[in-house]
Amino acid sequence: MIRTRGLVKRYGSHAALDGVDLNVPAGSVYGLAGPNGAGKTTLLGILAGLRKATEGEVTVETEPGEVSVLPDTPRFDPWLTGREVVALALTLSSGLGSSTAHEHADRVEEVLGQAGLTEASVRRCGGYSRGMLQRLGIASTLVARPALILLDEPASALDPQGRREVLDLIATLRGCATVLFSSHILGDVQEVCDTVGILHHGRLLFQGPLTDLLVGRAVPRYELRVRNNSDAVAAALSREPWVTSATAAYGGIVHVEVTSLADAELRLTGALAATGASVVSIRPEEVSLERAFLELTS
Amino acid sequence: MSPWRLELLRLTRTKKWAALMGVYVAFGLTGPLSARYMKQILARVGTDGATITVPDPTPAAGIVQFVSNASQIGTLVVVIVVAGALAFDAIPEMGVFLRTRVSPAWKILVPRIVVSFAAAAGAFVLGTGVAWYETWALLGAPDAAPVLVGAALGVAFLAFVVALTAAVAQRMQSVLSTVMTSLVVLIAMPLLGLAPAIARWLPTSLANALADLPSGGTMNDYWPALGVSLAATALLVWAAFAWVGRRGA
Repeated sequence: MIRTRGLVKRYGSHAALDGVDLNVPAGSVYGLAGPNGAGKTTLLGILAGLRKATEGEVTVETEPGEVSVLPDTPRFDPWLTGREVVALALTLSSGLGSSTAHEHADRVEEVLGQAGLTEASVRRCGGYSRGMLQRLGIASTLVARPALILLDEPASALDPQGRREVLDLIATLRGCATVLFSSHILGDVQEVCDTVGILHHGRLLFQGPLTDLLVGRAVPRYELRVRNNSDAVAAALSREPWVTSATAAYGGIVHVEVTSLADAELRLTGALAATGASVVSIRPEEVSLERAFLELTS
Repeated sequence: MSPWRLELLRLTRTKKWAALMGVYVAFGLTGPLSARYMKQILARVGTDGATITVPDPTPAAGIVQFVSNASQIGTLVVVIVVAGALAFDAIPEMGVFLRTRVSPAWKILVPRIVVSFAAAAGAFVLGTGVAWYETWALLGAPDAAPVLVGAALGVAFLAFVVALTAAVAQRMQSVLSTVMTSLVVLIAMPLLGLAPAIARWLPTSLANALADLPSGGTMNDYWPALGVSLAATALLVWAAFAWVGRRGA
């Protein structure tokens, strides 16, 4: 659906994008992860046709009217109601086409409901909170059923419940549209995306299925929590031959990397008992996108 | 919700229509009134030892007074209203909302230019009508034909102002810079007009036609400015359409 080859964007001598080869499969939910300033917004702007690339090729296999973009802080004319904003987005994107005015109104109501804005839709959006504006932006983005949706940090301004709703909404788009979703919140990317790209200082450090990223970096780890003497516990465990490393962290936490989960399952409890530590909890640590990201960028 | 309805809502909900109508209608009411009572006003403010002689007011003076009051402030209000509608990149997120949904991008401008121009022209014509009525009531009826032709030339000038502001708005990043740049251009024109050979070619001279024609001026004085104004309006609208589609750096 989207391919870039050697994409470069320079602002003066600073390269915001440096040879990015992006490949977004049709129908996927692609998460573009990276810290603030990584070049995510610049990349989305180029894909949306809002910025010019300095070098490189961009191929977006869809009609211009089939692309919908949500900026990170959507803003609208404050004297329009929420319903009018969504209705305007629908008209601008699709015209009336073969649909009737009644079908348009039904579609507007539907997406307002999905965004949780039905009650607020009669109010002027100048009085909306930032989270409500974000949800209004998402409703405006989805209303015309675009084939390609570019979302720039769509959940970053929302409270936990709003974020949950937006992430669920994005997850439901899988298969219906191609979604390219940028975020510096790696948990959000891990939760809803099937394909991920790690952008750092304008370079794409990894791109591919999320499972490839996580499995490739899977190291068997446990997180222990002891009542006290975590430093001594870590020191004792690190002397075990089946322990690769053991480090104490704040709050009685001990991170233990082991040679294999099987060894740990057999020996960890015994080794802990030998230290005399008062154990609060033991749990295997799953590989997170955050850890994979830190490994890639360190 | 069509883009045309959006522009009508912009005029009504932001009260911009009231600003446009208010300024022209207010000067339409007060212009002939001040022409009628100019003698009395000057007599009140005159100082001992100084005598100010003012000719008796004529019907044309009522219209002249309207134009002299309304042309500058009216044009300023028109520029501000038009810039507010056309400088949509002043809020980048609004620019993204529009540019990614409307293709080609010049289609965004059509309803904005047409509705802004219609509102400005309507307000100017209404103000002229009010000035005409007030003049008729206080000073006698001015000749209809010169007033109508003068009003038509005033509308042509407003078309130029709207087109100029539309083009400037596509090169600027804010409403304020659009207003200031447009005003600088409009103010620079009368300065150029200090050279008599140039004056009759400048679109800004059309703004004075409504005052000049009822006072004895002839249409021959305005053909060059009208021709330049129409050509410049077309060119500026074309430039606005071309520039609105540009992509960011």
